[in-house]
Amino acid sequence: MICAGIDAGSRTVKAVLLDARTREVLGVEIGDQGVRPAGATAAVYDALLAGCGVRRDDVRFTVATGYARNLVAWADTTITEITCHARGVHHRMPSARTVVEIGGQDSKLLRLQADGTVRDFAMNDRCAAGTGRFLEMVSDKLDVPLARLGAAATESTRPAAISSMCVVFAETEIIGLLASGAAAADVVAGVLRAIASRVAAMAAGRVETPVAFTGGVALVDGTGAALGAALGAEVAVVPDPQTTGALGAALLAARRCAAR
Amino acid sequence: MSDVVRQITLGEWDERYERLRAAGMKEAGYGGPLGRHVVGGNTRLRRLRYDSSAAALRLWNFLLTEERRLFEARRAGKTIVGAMKDLGTVPVMAYALPDVVAFYPDGAWWLPCVMEHGAGLLARADALGVDESFCPVRAMLGAFLSEGHFPEPALLICSAGAVCDDFSAIAQRLEGLGRSILWWEVPARRAPEPGEPAVALPAGFEAPEAQAAFVRGQLERVREAIERAAGARLTDDLLVEGIRRANEVRGLLRDLRRVVFTAEPCPLGALEMLIAEMLAIHFCSDLPESRVVLSGLRDEARRRAADGVGVLAAGAVRVFWVNPVADLWAMNVLEECGGRVCGTELLFCHAIEDVPEDLPPIDALARAALADPMVGPAGDRAERICREIDAFGAEAVVVCRIPGASHCALEGKAIGGMIGERLSLPVLEVEVPPLSDGVAAGLRTRLGALIELARERRV
Repeated sequence: MICAGIDAGSRTVKAVLLDARTREVLGVEIGDQGVRPAGATAAVYDALLAGCGVRRDDVRFTVATGYARNLVAWADTTITEITCHARGVHHRMPSARTVVEIGGQDSKLLRLQADGTVRDFAMNDRCAAGTGRFLEMVSDKLDVPLARLGAAATESTRPAAISSMCVVFAETEIIGLLASGAAAADVVAGVLRAIASRVAAMAAGRVETPVAFTGGVALVDGTGAALGAALGAEVAVVPDPQTTGALGAALLAARRCAAR
Repeated sequence: MSDVVRQITLGEWDERYERLRAAGMKEAGYGGPLGRHVVGGNTRLRRLRYDSSAAALRLWNFLLTEERRLFEARRAGKTIVGAMKDLGTVPVMAYALPDVVAFYPDGAWWLPCVMEHGAGLLARADALGVDESFCPVRAMLGAFLSEGHFPEPALLICSAGAVCDDFSAIAQRLEGLGRSILWWEVPARRAPEPGEPAVALPAGFEAPEAQAAFVRGQLERVREAIERAAGARLTDDLLVEGIRRANEVRGLLRDLRRVVFTAEPCPLGALEMLIAEMLAIHFCSDLPESRVVLSGLRDEARRRAADGVGVLAAGAVRVFWVNPVADLWAMNVLEECGGRVCGTELLFCHAIEDVPEDLPPIDALARAALADPMVGPAGDRAERICREIDAFGAEAVVVCRIPGASHCALEGKAIGGMIGERLSLPVLEVEVPPLSDGVAAGLRTRLGALIELARERRV
């Protein structure tokens, strides 16, 4: 019995196929989110099915999550990314009690119960400083590939202070720093610190260990370390962090399937 | 009239209206199809989902004709009193005189939402230097300048002191534009010191007698100002009768809350309840009619509760809602996510309590004013909220913030903290701007996650 989880995020679409009985992941597909989320999501899903040699009719239950979840017309139900990330992280890292998820357009902090259900959560989506969008802007402005940002930060000797709460003003601040001769590595290190401090503010001191870090931004080297420093706790990056939400959606689909 | 119990769109209301009329629905003078209010500029109404009852239609028409009714009252020679930043005291006094109509200019804060900024009220406030760092109630400035939303009041009364500093600043700007305002002060309520003479307030609070005496003095000034504006004596006897009539409205609202918040399935949606509760502050410019409107809603809710029917599916997650919301649509979103409102504290819970009828009227009104949650410590408010949450059996709590509104900027944390500690319930703090389209996805996710969390806890 096959189930699917689709995380139609703001920057990328992630899809996971799961054997509902064994909980074995049968396939994963990731693609860019375009300006037409429904089409992009369908393309990623169809590519996943094709890669696994599975037809749409073979999938017994599909859960959609992510900001464009309501556009996944063929999904059996939608569940918020908060619940899905919690489920996905618990599957991959059962001991986690705090989850930090930084995606393309928002960041979240979840506290989990021992059984992996959500105890409480905080979410930032009003300000892009503290999200993947911020890192993309920095990558573009400094002409440093996204994947190289972490390595660049390790070369920093004096991380820059990025004080702005708003990504638009932060961009202005970065331009000013570069104009005053700041090294790109120092700016990158400052940006990672700024992102981490936004998350720490969201946590408001309520961090229980172990802390798991997930979402696309967790793929950027150095963000986990910066987050750990800001939270005052060791932070472990969840395996395959970009697909945690989709995995959680697939796991919840399997549960619904079993309940049918 | 309640054959179809569900929530419907504005478009569906047009058809429903014709059917109700054909079935003999009796309407008030301000009645008519809801769609006409969109033609009048309230375009945002298209986005909402409404209760399908004749009683709800009357409520909406009552609300959305307030401006027109105020102009009519002026033409009929009534004295119009603007009771600003006063959540339920001055209107009780004003309506004690037969030819006085009090209204709530601060209510203009909803206009940018229902008119989708079409009236440009916030832009006018911006131009006066009162920008988005202030509460959206700054729309009132634009409404005064446009002279199209309500007639120029014969008397403007505004409370100050331990109320809302945003609003005090906005009202001072209005005064700077040449409007004369009678200010009356409400001190920050404090607990009496040991041995200090004290008075009992509604809702079980206490305050020092000296504070009550001070407010009595302030309200005597208000009484004199109303008398001058109306050219009539506002005697104690008239006030006693005015308090009795106001209490009737409050009693109806308490009944309505009790039926709607406790019945399963939910007999009336959160949107209509929000509007109905707002009547407690200012009677939507017509006290006798607000009694009729609330009676209709209560009777409809009672019928539905007795028949076991509701507007929402049975089993919706019971959510206690704190603070009013700037964009009415948020109440629909909560229900679409699988929640229902089972209790509220919208910053004016004191206006739902009876004004004491066994005291001299000015003393009774002073005590009612001192019971305002906004003039007391956040801890008092949180205590009361915890009691109500317990009484209504909520499974989750939403503490709503209004951008720029300083009186709820930090209070939410205190309230959320106490609820979490005492009741171990999930609490969500959300900020909802007057037009929430830009944050709609995030709002839906937050509310949806809260509902999912509460459902998980049922297992």
